[in-house]
Amino acid sequence: MARQAFYDVIPNKVIESESLQRGIAWVNKEISTPENRLILGATALMSQPFIDWHNKSVDDNTRKVSVCRTIAKIVAGTFTGYFIRKGCIKAIDKWSKLPTSVNKAGQKIKLNRLNTLFSPSNAISDLSDAFMQYKNALGTIVALGVMTITNFLIDAPLTKYLTNKFVAASGGLKHDNSK
Amino acid sequence: MTILNNMADLASKKFMTFKNYLYKNYGESPGEMLVHTGVLGWILSSAAQVFAIVINDKIPAKEKMFLIPQEFADAAVNIISFYVVTNSFTSVGNKLVKSGKLLTPKLKKYVDENKIKDIGKITTDISTGMKGDVRDDFMKFKGGVSIIFSTLGSILSCNIITPLLRNQYAAKKQKEIMAMRNEKSGANESVQAPKQIANEFVYRPLSMNDYQKMASLKFSGNNLKI
Repeated sequence: MARQAFYDVIPNKVIESESLQRGIAWVNKEISTPENRLILGATALMSQPFIDWHNKSVDDNTRKVSVCRTIAKIVAGTFTGYFIRKGCIKAIDKWSKLPTSVNKAGQKIKLNRLNTLFSPSNAISDLSDAFMQYKNALGTIVALGVMTITNFLIDAPLTKYLTNKFVAASGGLKHDNSK
Repeated sequence: MTILNNMADLASKKFMTFKNYLYKNYGESPGEMLVHTGVLGWILSSAAQVFAIVINDKIPAKEKMFLIPQEFADAAVNIISFYVVTNSFTSVGNKLVKSGKLLTPKLKKYVDENKIKDIGKITTDISTGMKGDVRDDFMKFKGGVSIIFSTLGSILSCNIITPLLRNQYAAKKQKEIMAMRNEKSGANESVQAPKQIANEFVYRPLSMNDYQKMASLKFSGNNLKI
């Protein structure tokens, strides 16, 4: 009942604007997890440093390091997150061919064990929207596995390096006389 | 060799079942895929955090006993807030399209021609019995709306709710650890150390030294968000 009451508040709407319809279709086709990561990274840069800057539980120096570290973390995480997701989805695309798949010249691709490694047996056409979303999903799952390793190898050292650079660029830390 | 062949066959069949499952479940629900892979990402990054503490030789066993449950609690806050907020947004987006509250002119025409009743009721699904081009249009429209809603949900949860919760939680935990350490060092240095000074130290804002001490315990910090 409460759920229905919530939906009742929202008015019925028919989207007449053609550009808005095209925009929603574009989102469905073009936005997947790598782009989602980019959007999250960009919006994170607009919100998280401010949240850290207004954290009254820590002193000024700590707050400064915390803000620099947050920015560094977002930059490093977004950079690796986007490119690894994109790369893995591309790899899955290369190795998920179907009998309907054609190359750039329009000729049918000869199927072998490698280029069908990730092909599902219930997909009908490689041009379908569902098949594209499948490749995005599998590519993202593989990317998440890869990123558990690159987190240690790339993200952590890159975050540390960028944090130090940002702290230095912001004028360094005040001498702490509290101890 | 036969056993190995059987195992390879079994693994191959299981892998095909997994691929077919992904195709069936995420092929037409990209918004749900974003939510589920997001949760999986949080789980893996939290597992990496715990693993980083477990293998860190610099952390004494006694500290690990405190830090590991703390990491699990931190992970639970992250995962639950992400899932609840993002999944709710995605579900609202899907429901708006399925119930016919949000339509394109083409879908509106379909609804009118088929005299679908109870538009806007949460139990209504205008896609029941839908076929051909209209179904394709419906799936594309629903997919786009679902992605927009899940992205909005993940922005709200990852960039606003979670950092606020985490800051509160981290500050509270850091103060608890510092208080524990101060009590220990106070007991070692002097039995007659004035209690008031110790309390004053515990409740003042964390200094840079405190922060660095904490960072030495958690060398990976919160880097491991993937």
